[in-house]
Amino acid sequence: MKKIVLMLLFSCFSSVLLGQQNVLEPLSVDHVRTQPHDAIISTKGGIEVTTTDGEFSLQLGGRVLIDAAVYSEDKNTLGNGSELRDIRLDLEGRLYADFIYELSIDFSDGETDVKDAWLGYDANYPWRYTIGHFKEPFSLEEMTSNKYLTFMERALPNAMVPGRSLGFGINWVGEQITLSAGLFGDDYNDDVDDEGDEGWGATSRLTYAPFAEERSALHLGLAVSYRKLDDEQEFRFDSRHESHLTDIRYLDSGKLSQSDSLTLFGFEGAWVSGSLSLQGELIQANLERKAYEDPSFSGWYLQGSWFLTGESRQYKQRTGRFGRVRPLNEYGAVELAARYSTLDLNDVGIEGGSSDNVTLGVNWYLNPQIRLMANYIFVENDIFADADGDVNGEDEPTLLQFRAQADF
Amino acid sequence: MNNRLLSKGMLVLLILGCCFPAVQTYASSKDPDTLVIGKISHNPKKHYRYLKPMVKYAVERMQDLGIRKGKIRMVRSKEQLADMVRRGDVDWVTETPIAAAYLHEKSGAEILVRKWKKGVPEYHSVFFSLEKSNINKLEDLVGKVIALEDPASTSAFYLPVYAMLEKGLRLIKLRNIREKPPADMVGFVFAREEINIATLVHMGIVDAGAFSNTDWNKEDHLPSKYRAKLSIFMRTSPIIRAVEMVRQDIDPAIRKRLEEILLQAGNDPQAAPVLHAYQRTKKFDKLSRDQETMIYNLRQIMDVVDPVL
Repeated sequence: MKKIVLMLLFSCFSSVLLGQQNVLEPLSVDHVRTQPHDAIISTKGGIEVTTTDGEFSLQLGGRVLIDAAVYSEDKNTLGNGSELRDIRLDLEGRLYADFIYELSIDFSDGETDVKDAWLGYDANYPWRYTIGHFKEPFSLEEMTSNKYLTFMERALPNAMVPGRSLGFGINWVGEQITLSAGLFGDDYNDDVDDEGDEGWGATSRLTYAPFAEERSALHLGLAVSYRKLDDEQEFRFDSRHESHLTDIRYLDSGKLSQSDSLTLFGFEGAWVSGSLSLQGELIQANLERKAYEDPSFSGWYLQGSWFLTGESRQYKQRTGRFGRVRPLNEYGAVELAARYSTLDLNDVGIEGGSSDNVTLGVNWYLNPQIRLMANYIFVENDIFADADGDVNGEDEPTLLQFRAQADF
Repeated sequence: MNNRLLSKGMLVLLILGCCFPAVQTYASSKDPDTLVIGKISHNPKKHYRYLKPMVKYAVERMQDLGIRKGKIRMVRSKEQLADMVRRGDVDWVTETPIAAAYLHEKSGAEILVRKWKKGVPEYHSVFFSLEKSNINKLEDLVGKVIALEDPASTSAFYLPVYAMLEKGLRLIKLRNIREKPPADMVGFVFAREEINIATLVHMGIVDAGAFSNTDWNKEDHLPSKYRAKLSIFMRTSPIIRAVEMVRQDIDPAIRKRLEEILLQAGNDPQAAPVLHAYQRTKKFDKLSRDQETMIYNLRQIMDVVDPVL
């Protein structure tokens, strides 16, 4: 029995002794044991939460764009004014490692408008699959967020760009090339009371960047979009000049009945060299109509910008678009820019009008997330640019508009 | 119960008693069929995106070894990462040499291969000042101020401070950029970002700055209009850019396979997008024993440099 007691004592002693030898003092003062689903939280105004295994994340952000405009009127009354151009909350994240999502809601205009609302599958890099409401892959300017545009509004040819639709998309990214393609229905708020089938479309975009460094880049892009129009077979292109504060859409093709399909071609180019950049696009639209001659519309723009303070526009090769500018100096970054754009909606008897806009812009980036913008725009409309007969043609107003922008 | 039976029972208890503490303290929480890569990260969302394709690529080539899943663990500090490697919660680590030296000492993690992070095998620190200044060597910094990045930076803190200490200079951390050091010491300030270092030197607010030779050529960190007025007056010896490590007690078969996978990745077309995502890595290659020892010895740099803080 004595032997047994001794063995027991030895057992206990050895447990304690060995235990002491093998117990690991934690090196980290943060936590003895980090669990996979513990979160790392960070903020730069918005909030980002990511689990330590990265399989779940959530980022809440938003943007506020406040505009004001003064019009030097010519033949038509435009009305000076101000507006909340974009008030948006953006939510994006990752679920169970392989699923990603984005939901962004715009509250400007006193209404709630769903912008992006999609779910993506991200398990097979460099492929990504997306379903939901998102931008059809067409146009460098359209794919670039309005937070990062050089000018307050996109150029005139953007009126022909498909924008957001409900659909399924696939993306592939290589070292110099990106490929995006998708099948789309109509916009999410297409009137469900309409009888007949919705329209559908197929859009694809290919980009190639021979070089894409932090301060130098060359971007080339090609996009094609085909859209079978819905059973109403009515088609319409219309466009404001490059200011959102007026509702007058000078350029207006009117409703083009018996329209069957629309094919779009887009050609993109951009070049960045240090503080200088050039960007341009050409877009052509071919409309197929029954019992009428098929019209073609086209537009293009060319813009240049120069950072007085030495910064560079940030080209993102993996997405084939531009991103956030980060000032180099404490007092921020100053950018001067100029753009010429034109859109012609006149063809085969259709008198939608033609317009040329020349814009001079200056941007002051106080920091990466806040900027002030001013655009001075010279507009020259032809005689048919009369908002489908609602206003006078050959109008040549000049516009001065300002924006205060913050995003987080 | 007879004594013999009781003795046998006690013997079993004795064995269990001896083993129990070891099991309790070293048990890993991860599944044996899972390969886990770890990283110190202050931007986990971004780092997840580049780690995920790489761990998936490796796991797909380890199925025959019983590895079915890949996982990622990101932590805030080198201490946390060392804890996880010691416990076996993390198998594989991708880090810079200074962090690698720390992990080796604290967790026993061993270097597997070199990573040509951002396409380069090694880098070094450069000291620079305004061209018109009279600073031509480290000793000229006495009584002056140098801007560095932050206390975690290899090329913009550890290497330059070590170089100054090796020269016998005495350093003092200043509370702000306008403060002046004693006449017999070199003052240093943290500017947080490379561009701030460049700007402070360019504007003449501090006398000198130091960061990596790759930053020197990077327009975002040093715009050419600044660079034209600056000159490099000293360069440190080059060190390895980055390494892949594994925990000491990882299954040797998995270790060997991981090494093979990484070494051939540079020649595998399927790995091209994975490597590009993985911090634009050009390839992996094997380091010599001397090179590995040199990295492990960087731990001494931390011991020498940390006290200046």
